[in-house]
Amino acid sequence: MKDNIFTELYNKLLGFFRQAEEEESTKDVACNRLRVVLMQDRTNLTPQLLEKMRGELVELLSKYLEMDKDALELNLEQEGEQMALMLSIPVIRAKDETEIEKALAEEEAKKMAEKNAEEDEAAEETETEEELEEEDLNAEEDAAEADADVESENETLNKDNPKKFPNKEICGDCRECEFSDDIECEKKIPSKKTAKK
Amino acid sequence: MSGRVIVITSGKGGVGKTTASANIGTALAKAGNKVVMIDTDIGLRNLDLLLGLENRIVYTIVDVVEERCKLKQALVKDKKNPNLCLLAAAQTRDKSAVTEEQLKDICEKLKKDYDFILVDCPAGIEQGFQNAVAGATEAIVVTTPEMSAVRDADRIIGLLEAKEEIESYRLLLNRVRPNLIKSKDMMSVEDVVEILSADLIGIIPEDTGIITSTNKGEPIVNDEKSLAGRAYTNVAKRIMGEEVEFMNLEEETSVVAKVKKFFKGLMVKEK
Repeated sequence: MKDNIFTELYNKLLGFFRQAEEEESTKDVACNRLRVVLMQDRTNLTPQLLEKMRGELVELLSKYLEMDKDALELNLEQEGEQMALMLSIPVIRAKDETEIEKALAEEEAKKMAEKNAEEDEAAEETETEEELEEEDLNAEEDAAEADADVESENETLNKDNPKKFPNKEICGDCRECEFSDDIECEKKIPSKKTAKK
Repeated sequence: MSGRVIVITSGKGGVGKTTASANIGTALAKAGNKVVMIDTDIGLRNLDLLLGLENRIVYTIVDVVEERCKLKQALVKDKKNPNLCLLAAAQTRDKSAVTEEQLKDICEKLKKDYDFILVDCPAGIEQGFQNAVAGATEAIVVTTPEMSAVRDADRIIGLLEAKEEIESYRLLLNRVRPNLIKSKDMMSVEDVVEILSADLIGIIPEDTGIITSTNKGEPIVNDEKSLAGRAYTNVAKRIMGEEVEFMNLEEETSVVAKVKKFFKGLMVKEK
């Protein structure tokens, strides 16, 4: 009888400590939720924007590393006066040189293709002065876009997985090409923009 | 004499701004300073109640602004302490009855005769807040270890940092419950300080004495036995530049905890 009481007590105690270890305390939940919400309050970064930033970072980094994309954590933390961006991603393996080079080369190729597309377009529309001005504006815009692409786009992902980063919208706009024909499709899009202007 | 103008603000309502104002003001006056408190919560005045002065108010801040009386006439002296007086808010008007410039002007005038001008700010971040902050150079941000209060405090800190006139602000953590912190059901003082990355001016424990003292219209600092009262006295000392260590609330409450444990132990044995 006495043994039973003691074993029960022991188990209860054990259970108590286990519980304490396993369950996240409510104050930790509060702290974590607060950190996230304050990050949004302080930076004006909406959850949508953060998600976009996350996606772009994944694309950029996966050129160099193979990683667990779903486990990527992105946090802005206040450290004294300074705000710091904390990024934590489990790396599955480092890509080898040839893979990285391939990825970079493909990106370069895409960039070139985009530039060519812009130039082609430029050639198409050098007729009146008005159009010239417009085109300058567009060229600037597109250049900025291209710059952003250098940082964010991941060519390998784009090619390997066309459905993940489809040109569906673009195609929907031009209605002339299939998913596979990226280059021609992108040609159409800027020209459509100018047409609107 | 050039007094210090300190605004007591929080963003969120119900965290204890007015209680803090009444107690800090009383503690500062008890220490021998000449103190005037301004209630800027026009339409929802309460500071007079906490000080037990509700029956003595003749003129309010709106009367001063609209020149129905002189500034000195509107200052209500405290019952116990002649060093302390109150400039009450009007109850029948709204926040737009006073402008930032007018409040600045009142603070400037009061600075000449008083050591401390404490401005009790209304909740929110609208015009009432802007008015209250207008004349101040220091701020005390009152918050509690609750998510909503901390979030609002963060917002207020952001607004205060954007104001050039505010030279410094410090955090007053109110309604702290050591037992809940111990069981990890409440954010600790360290958690809040870390999240807001602000300096502390005081930690006030949750105390039922606050309710009874409000019932009586007598600030709890007058009760030297109460934990919250002592905590507020320490806040006043820190404002005056003294270095006072923060109370270890866990230790302070541990006597009670020990007694409880003892009885709990007895009950378990009986079972």
